[in-house]
Amino acid sequence: MTVELQHPMKAQSTPDEVARGRFVSGIRGLILNDLATDMKDAYDRRAAPAFRKEHGRDPETSREAHQALRGDPAFNIYSAMRVQAQKMVWASVADSVEREGDRLAHEAELAAAAPGSLTLDPALDVPKNVHAIDVHLMPGSYTRGADSLEAGAVYDRGLAVFSMGLMGANLDDIGLSMSQYIKQRFPDFAPQRILDTGCTVGHNTLPWKQVYPDAELIAIDAAPGPLAYASARAKMQGQDVQFRQMCADDLAFEDASFDVVWSSMFLHELSKKQRAKCLDEAFRVLRQGGLMLHMELPPNAQMGAFEGFYLDWDSYYNNEPYYKGYRDELPGDLCARAGFADGDFFEFVVPSVGIYGEQALIDAARGDRAEGVGQQTTGRLAEGVMWYGFGAWKK
Amino acid sequence: MNDEPFRPEDAPSSLYDDTGNPRFFADPGMDRFVAVVMNLAQEVWVQQERLLALEEEKSGQPVDRDAVAKEFIDRVFAPIRRA
Repeated sequence: MTVELQHPMKAQSTPDEVARGRFVSGIRGLILNDLATDMKDAYDRRAAPAFRKEHGRDPETSREAHQALRGDPAFNIYSAMRVQAQKMVWASVADSVEREGDRLAHEAELAAAAPGSLTLDPALDVPKNVHAIDVHLMPGSYTRGADSLEAGAVYDRGLAVFSMGLMGANLDDIGLSMSQYIKQRFPDFAPQRILDTGCTVGHNTLPWKQVYPDAELIAIDAAPGPLAYASARAKMQGQDVQFRQMCADDLAFEDASFDVVWSSMFLHELSKKQRAKCLDEAFRVLRQGGLMLHMELPPNAQMGAFEGFYLDWDSYYNNEPYYKGYRDELPGDLCARAGFADGDFFEFVVPSVGIYGEQALIDAARGDRAEGVGQQTTGRLAEGVMWYGFGAWKK
Repeated sequence: MNDEPFRPEDAPSSLYDDTGNPRFFADPGMDRFVAVVMNLAQEVWVQQERLLALEEEKSGQPVDRDAVAKEFIDRVFAPIRRA
């Protein structure tokens, strides 16, 4: 199913566009559930035994699982269809975005007086990984349409098709699940100032305002267009957020000025060097007692060879060049290098609140937190998805 | 829009064709053909929704289009299952 966006910038689609979007969501469901299962069966039945015959042992890493599967018929059909389905996601929303540019600008203008702010920095040197590659095959990447609402609209509408309903009605399931988990697990923690880094259209920013309504919420991104869209989107939803164009690895904030530094699906977009700098900056701007928290893909070290490869697929075939390099790193090491003490690091898996419900989330927050990291459903956008996160306290 | 391709460090160039697109099948035409079949199925589904709209109007009964789309996709793509 395609999610219907919950604000006035949602598409006024023609019936044919709605049908195209429905088809893309449906075919992604087939690929990510059924064909993924077929590929795992082929791996167990054919690819892994062939690898074993050649090497005298099972594939042990994501890279070896990839090597074993390359050329297998189930891998070929899964991969070719997934690439095309990804292109179809963006194609299915392109016409409506192009047609509605003026209307979007008008809607944003109507909401402009609502609480919240947008501060762009025309002098910012937008990093190459944001503009010089069509990230996840999205034409024009995050800088499409410069500082107009175009890139944000493509991303928001595309995500509504892409997510198949698994990212929540307001595309905020990750933010909701993570922020509610933190509130449940650390009930005495009451952040006053929260920073979201790499926020794109702010879909996983807004839940923090819902969970901690008294906190000041600031969200940054390097790309101006999605940020302008995020600001309009937040205002339309009555959420007071300050959006500022800025790179997460070079924060224009004072030392010790935030209680939470958060990101979702962001660290894997950065080069190793940028990522390390980004965590250094998070440590710097956190107050004592503050929390750095990242929702991300689970690390390869905690997954089997096939499961690790399944997630790393995007790195090779979905224009996510840093995805595998990120997943090969250990979150605990990243935090330690940024200055956090070993004992202040934690990682966890949260059941999607939209799929499993609030009680499951509460149980996870209060129960055995390590369980589930290695499960197939962790980090995989398919039926029964669970979200992986890690964090560290600055003490 | 790339000056030089962004790739994972360990990605062999054999994974991509000479225009930088991923390649999977021994015959590169097959990669394109899969995309054509998917586009074609999508356009057939668009026509199907037009028919559903007419039928809904005639009968006054709404149809669960997501469910019908799933049946359609499962039926059309059945031959590629369990490859």
